[in-house]
Amino acid sequence: MARTITFSQALNEAMAEELRRDPSVFIIGEDVRVSCFGQTAGLVNEFGQERVINTPIAENAITGAAMGAALNGLRPVLEIMFMDFTMLAMDQLCNNLGQWRYVTGGQYSIPLTIRTACGAGMRMGYGHSQCLQSQLIQAPGLIIVEPSTPYDAKGLLKAAIRSDDPVIVVESKKLIFGAVQGEVPEEEYTLPFGEAVIRKPGKDATVVAVGFMCYEALGAAQQLAQEGIDIEVIDLRSIVPMDKDAIFKSVEKTGRLITVEEGRIRGGLGAEISALATTEYFGLLKAPVQRVAAPMVPIGGSPALEDLYIPNKDSIVRAVKRAL
Amino acid sequence: MSVDNNILKELYRRMILVRCMEDTHNKLLQEGKIQLMGHFGTGQEAVAIGVTGPLRGEDILFGTHRGVGEYIGKGMAPRDIWLEYMGKRDSPCNGKGGLHLCDRKSNIPGLVASLGSDFSIAVGTALASKMRKTGQVTLYFVGEGTCNQADAHPSMCMAALWKLPVVFAICTNEFCELSYKCDHIPTKDVATRAAAYDIPFNIVDGQEIETTYEATRTAVEHARGGNGPYVVEYKTFRMSTHFSGDPGTYVNREELEAWRKRDPIDLCKEKLLDKGILSEKEDVQLRGQVQADVDAAVSAAFAAPDPSVEDLFTDVYSGKGVI
Repeated sequence: MARTITFSQALNEAMAEELRRDPSVFIIGEDVRVSCFGQTAGLVNEFGQERVINTPIAENAITGAAMGAALNGLRPVLEIMFMDFTMLAMDQLCNNLGQWRYVTGGQYSIPLTIRTACGAGMRMGYGHSQCLQSQLIQAPGLIIVEPSTPYDAKGLLKAAIRSDDPVIVVESKKLIFGAVQGEVPEEEYTLPFGEAVIRKPGKDATVVAVGFMCYEALGAAQQLAQEGIDIEVIDLRSIVPMDKDAIFKSVEKTGRLITVEEGRIRGGLGAEISALATTEYFGLLKAPVQRVAAPMVPIGGSPALEDLYIPNKDSIVRAVKRAL
Repeated sequence: MSVDNNILKELYRRMILVRCMEDTHNKLLQEGKIQLMGHFGTGQEAVAIGVTGPLRGEDILFGTHRGVGEYIGKGMAPRDIWLEYMGKRDSPCNGKGGLHLCDRKSNIPGLVASLGSDFSIAVGTALASKMRKTGQVTLYFVGEGTCNQADAHPSMCMAALWKLPVVFAICTNEFCELSYKCDHIPTKDVATRAAAYDIPFNIVDGQEIETTYEATRTAVEHARGGNGPYVVEYKTFRMSTHFSGDPGTYVNREELEAWRKRDPIDLCKEKLLDKGILSEKEDVQLRGQVQADVDAAVSAAFAAPDPSVEDLFTDVYSGKGVI
């Protein structure tokens, strides 16, 4: 039986179920007992302070501590409250976490899940609003997922907690604060990494989006449909590994590719996907790949500037038309 | 303060083995037979062997980049060290660790490249030990220079907050890479920083093996007893230079000569001779045996195969392949 719950409730359920199922799972992070945005709210009541651990404000060190616990038999679920603050933990994230299994010859795995909230639109200014996914894709050994629905959030987070590799689960603040709802089955399930989903089939152009941008892409699809343009919207769900086959099959059909992300354009996910398409199936492309992403500027404190910064359905509509 | 005679003799053997391993590494470098540079810990053997001596097999060690002392002390086999240093397929890390030694058999979870980023990792292994009630102690062995890394502060803070079974063992060897300690640290001691977190600390001579061993044993027992972390600082002197290619022009020669008179191996030998538990003849035999064992391990490692292209792509993820 499916029920309708919010994005945040789905994350909360995923953690509660895994805490119940596996005594080696625990929650750690800044203020996770009270929970700043609500994802871990109430878990301390059922699982106690020993398994829901508040930490000092020290992102690199708490990431290291979570890694150490993962090295010694536990499955920590670490929260880095804002994705901007993952930059404070770059030493652990990029130098250690994803590389440990390899440089120890597989002697040690790091079954660590890191949840972090990204995205602008909350009027939080330059350093509480960024999408920095592309900063992390250069590091080997990490898995990076970004769900856009409650169903995906629960399934991917549960899979992350059970994974023997370090997984970063990116949670869009718009999906949390906007209390985005969706159907989630009561029954137990997990989702595999690296499988995209077609949110709307179409024949004229392929729009590859991730996280909250999937909703902007679907908005663009509605607007374009009124003009007789039929786009296909692919929700990546998983950034590393990326479902290259899904993108290929869609472009094989449409011949046109538009990438959409909330992060900045330079060296972004769009650059990676574009390079992939032009390297592997240039001949299928009927037009240059278009990238929709944030500009190379900081996020201004003014709501007017912030709204200009964030890619939206209008910028996607324009990009699709450039590709036609 | 007195250590059991059999233990003392074994600690002496380990110190000789460490010195022999590092001298052999240096010789292989000079002969152009090995590519990996060395960061030797000559003169610091009583610290590395003293801090690991009281540990149990299940205890966890995070070591330093300086020499092989604590790795030998925790039980890593010389052959495995040479295989790793030479990047061979059969090393514990399948040739992927290099100078970053890791040996699961000995509960050594690996050596970070960025100095001090394992401060917090050690706190994490101790957290898991406490949560899982394993009775393990984590020993975090670190140089005084690395204690300036920012993560030293929240790591000690978390260890104290959560009363974790971790010992922070600080080897103060008067040098921070290519400069003297006084260029890095404004205070005489580093362990005094523990007071900021209400962590008990001890500052001891690093040349006498009995002293380093006993000070560590006290700290380890404190941590294992559920009393939280402990900091010990060992005062020693790096008689080698920062790395094998460093001529050490900045080292005060008179100071070096003065410290050489307190070589930890010589001090221990005198004690063993005084106690009548070692004779000059036995000492010669022991050193000969150690050198023969090291030479055999080196030869075996040279003969071992290199990793192949398949190894390049294994163990990135727990599943197969790379992404």
